[in-house]
Amino acid sequence: MSSNNNKEEPKKPAAAPPAKPSTTKTTAPAKPATPAAAKPPAPAAPKPAAAAPPPKKEPEPPAFEKGLVDEIKKKFGDSIKTVFIRPLRIKIQVEPRDITEVATFLRDSMGFDHAESVTGTDYPKDGQIEVTYHLGSYSRDDLGAQVLSLTTRTNRDDARLPTLINVYKSVEYHERETFEMLGVYFDGHPRNERFLLPEDWADIPPLRKDFRIKGR
Amino acid sequence: MTSLEDKFEESKRLGLQIVKESEEDRLMTLSIGPQHPGSGHFRFTIKVDGDYIVYCDPDPGYVHRGEEKMSEYRNFIQNIPHLERPVIHDSTNITYAYSLAVEELVGIEVPRRGQYIRAIASELNRQVYTLYWLAIYGIFLGHSTMFMWPTGDRELFIDLLEALTGARVTHAFNIPGGVRNDTPDGFKDRCIRQVRYFEKRLKEYEDIFYNNPLFRQRTEQVGVLTKEDAIKLGVAGSVLRASGIPYDIRKAEPYDIYNEIDFKVQYMKTGDSFARSYVPFLDMKESCHIIEQLLDKMPQSGEVRAKLQPNPKGPPGEAYRRVESGRGALGYHIISDGTPKPYRVKISVGSFRNMLALPFLLVGQKLADMPSVYWSLNYWPVEADR
Amino acid sequence: MATYTKNFRFGEFVGSLIWLILWILIIIALVGLPLIFIVLFYVPLPPVNGQVLTPYLFLTMTVDPSRTLPIIKYMIHTDLFRITTFPGFTYAALIAAVTIFIERKFLAKMQLRVGPLYAGKIEGILQLIADGLKLIAKEIIVPSGADKPLFWAAPIAFVAAAAAVVALIPAAPTWVAANVDVGLLAVFAILGFFPLIALLFSWASNSKYPFIGGLRALHQMIAFEIPFILSALSVVILSGTLNLTGIVNSQITSYWFIFFAPISAFVFYISSLAELERIPFDLPEAESEIVAGWLTETSGMIYGLLQLGSYVKTYALAALFVILFLGGWAGPAVMPVELIPGYTGVQIYNHTTADAILWFTLKVFGVIMLMLLPRGISPRIRIDILLHTGWYKLIVLAFINIFVALALIYGGILGPGGLLVR
Repeated sequence: MSSNNNKEEPKKPAAAPPAKPSTTKTTAPAKPATPAAAKPPAPAAPKPAAAAPPPKKEPEPPAFEKGLVDEIKKKFGDSIKTVFIRPLRIKIQVEPRDITEVATFLRDSMGFDHAESVTGTDYPKDGQIEVTYHLGSYSRDDLGAQVLSLTTRTNRDDARLPTLINVYKSVEYHERETFEMLGVYFDGHPRNERFLLPEDWADIPPLRKDFRIKGR
Repeated sequence: MTSLEDKFEESKRLGLQIVKESEEDRLMTLSIGPQHPGSGHFRFTIKVDGDYIVYCDPDPGYVHRGEEKMSEYRNFIQNIPHLERPVIHDSTNITYAYSLAVEELVGIEVPRRGQYIRAIASELNRQVYTLYWLAIYGIFLGHSTMFMWPTGDRELFIDLLEALTGARVTHAFNIPGGVRNDTPDGFKDRCIRQVRYFEKRLKEYEDIFYNNPLFRQRTEQVGVLTKEDAIKLGVAGSVLRASGIPYDIRKAEPYDIYNEIDFKVQYMKTGDSFARSYVPFLDMKESCHIIEQLLDKMPQSGEVRAKLQPNPKGPPGEAYRRVESGRGALGYHIISDGTPKPYRVKISVGSFRNMLALPFLLVGQKLADMPSVYWSLNYWPVEADR
Repeated sequence: MATYTKNFRFGEFVGSLIWLILWILIIIALVGLPLIFIVLFYVPLPPVNGQVLTPYLFLTMTVDPSRTLPIIKYMIHTDLFRITTFPGFTYAALIAAVTIFIERKFLAKMQLRVGPLYAGKIEGILQLIADGLKLIAKEIIVPSGADKPLFWAAPIAFVAAAAAVVALIPAAPTWVAANVDVGLLAVFAILGFFPLIALLFSWASNSKYPFIGGLRALHQMIAFEIPFILSALSVVILSGTLNLTGIVNSQITSYWFIFFAPISAFVFYISSLAELERIPFDLPEAESEIVAGWLTETSGMIYGLLQLGSYVKTYALAALFVILFLGGWAGPAVMPVELIPGYTGVQIYNHTTADAILWFTLKVFGVIMLMLLPRGISPRIRIDILLHTGWYKLIVLAFINIFVALALIYGGILGPGGLLVR
């Protein structure tokens, strides 16, 4: 009736200390600060661990996670931009036009079989909205602890992205929520409509940064 | 003049106001919630053809409070009390993941005794939640004794948590850097005594509820979620484990001291309503063992909380940390821009993911199976709305 | 804190009281007394001490209270008393009230609670009165678009049908409101009304959940009425009569029929649970599925009447079980022969009847407890399982016992001149 998926056990001690990644924090929003971040990957790409910004204290990325990224890169080459590789956490960024292809590859060949959540983040300074798919795996035991963040960015004024619903059925409600909270229209999603907000909501999407809570 | 079509044409010629019955006319639309005793703060529209459900559309949002937006206006410590509101019955677990993520962002190491107390509190709180869930499952199936017993036995753990944290339901106990305070005197003995008593009660639950033939008839082979579908829908927690996937964040990605604890991931293979209702029960049993182990292994003395700045902040960055809550994996994705307030907080909850399975499972079921399928999904409407 | 009003005058207060008393006296003298006399002239009065009781003699009971005894004795042998009081509606309603109280305390003990506690100092004994007052005080909301005549008539019809069943039930030898030869058939005929009332009421409510509940009630009746009647049939075969008093008498002369027809008793018990819509067969009121089933649109005293009707029905079916299988009022004599030793006046106390009432009431409460028990231990059943149980299992079980009964009769064990007949 019960089992021990102890395949994870040996890897765990290395991953467990939560304090370790604290030194590595520099990459993610630092890079977004450069506008049109999607363009420059080509020159900077060959070194995976986000070599463009110069923080030298970046520790050596863990081998297993690095192997995963290398596998993706072997398939897609420079269209994948690695944002960070940390124990158990990988973040890669792709162009909106590539995301369906990358996601299909991740699902079929890598074993990332479901999306845990979809996060949208508004970056008004860049004029962009970042949408992150947190992908995980139930079917591969060695990927059980991994969360791969598949990120893409879209223009803030006309936010449109291709939907991943045909790749990951589990993003249906998450994308719907992202649509109403950030105003990102998912092309191909059957129901880009109101979900959590009241039916008579007549304001801008509330998770955008220019929406202010009253009195704050 | 024999077929129905001819008769219809004839009646139209005679000027009779006869309307043909369409497929839609046979369906009755029922609104389950938000004022339905079987819904919670949640609504889903179903259409029934006779006794069979042919359509289901969830409509959450009745208790949407914008926790994610609110978090952007408060600093990391101020966020704790309001982030536990989505699921006050499991408030320690929902702040647990937040604390882990903030610790990763700010770079704090939690003292070992603090980690143990955290784990104890979260296990106790998971029991509180699961008992509450089980009570509602009982009353959903018309079993009023199963409503009263868990609701009463919940007090065991609520009292323990009250002694530990000072509050009965909303504890605000986990904070970045550890826990708010140390255990009171005699906590260990009291805890072990009450947990042992509770283990005896669990046997009685099994006798009166899970082994009840009527209960089995109502739940077995009802709303079967196969392993493949469970993976495809990305469900979490007990729903996933009931479909034959032994996936538990405590085992898959042990946080804090869970890699020092010896326990088994409880799962079943059938994936029906019975399995989904039985797996949380097995979890409760396992959780009792975990609590006893934690109490044994806990360091006898030491700090329970790391020293923090009044307004802690870390370098810009992001963190995604998960814990196993009563409803499955609960993750916080926090993006920090270097200020004391988070730039973006995303709460990824098991309830929201399990909601996707609701229309998938309900369509094709009988109306009478609606409560047993719906509540077996371990869905907490308030948490899903956030 | 009580305060006087501004213009309070004590004299005026006393004066108002005197006026009130005066008006009451005037009304009694001008309306009350003539009315009493008119009634007494038309009502046939019993003879007292050899002479017919005239209104003048009637009024002399104020001087000699013992003269009321023959009047009481006369009154309690009228049909009106039997229908309204014993063994008719008041008796049934009292048992229903006690049942509700017992149910709440009993269930509370099973579920490790205390149950009603505060109303009426002793264990919340007045809780039912408090609930009743609350229900009376509540507004009755008729849903828009409801079929108003039906909506109002259905609760009354429900209570009336329950009372009609009660009227057929004998509670002691000769104590029955309607002693008919087809008593058992009449009971089943009246019981057949209940699902119809439920369906009419649910239709009249103009709402979806009540309608589903009403349809479920109908399904349930069709599935359970047949085993219900079949299970009683074996008793009829054993006793040779449809008259309920006759059935009890034939058990007094032999043995309780539950020993000969245990399977029938079981089927009867299950079917009566279904007939009463009690858990596990409360599908027509399944709360978590269809809100409150056919009771969804009820409010205030309409709900109160339906509850009263269903508990009176509980009494009726429990009494029927007692009569059919547990020997009715049969039992050892425990009551004293004379209530006041040495009393030689008009007898209104009969120790055999007192014994009968005592045993009958005790047995009825025993069966009612048995009917309350599943509520504490069982979840609700599903409609397809319910129909399957009714059609495939209970009917077959009931037939088995019919054959057993036939064998007992033709084998000369029971029946006229049988081995076991005393």
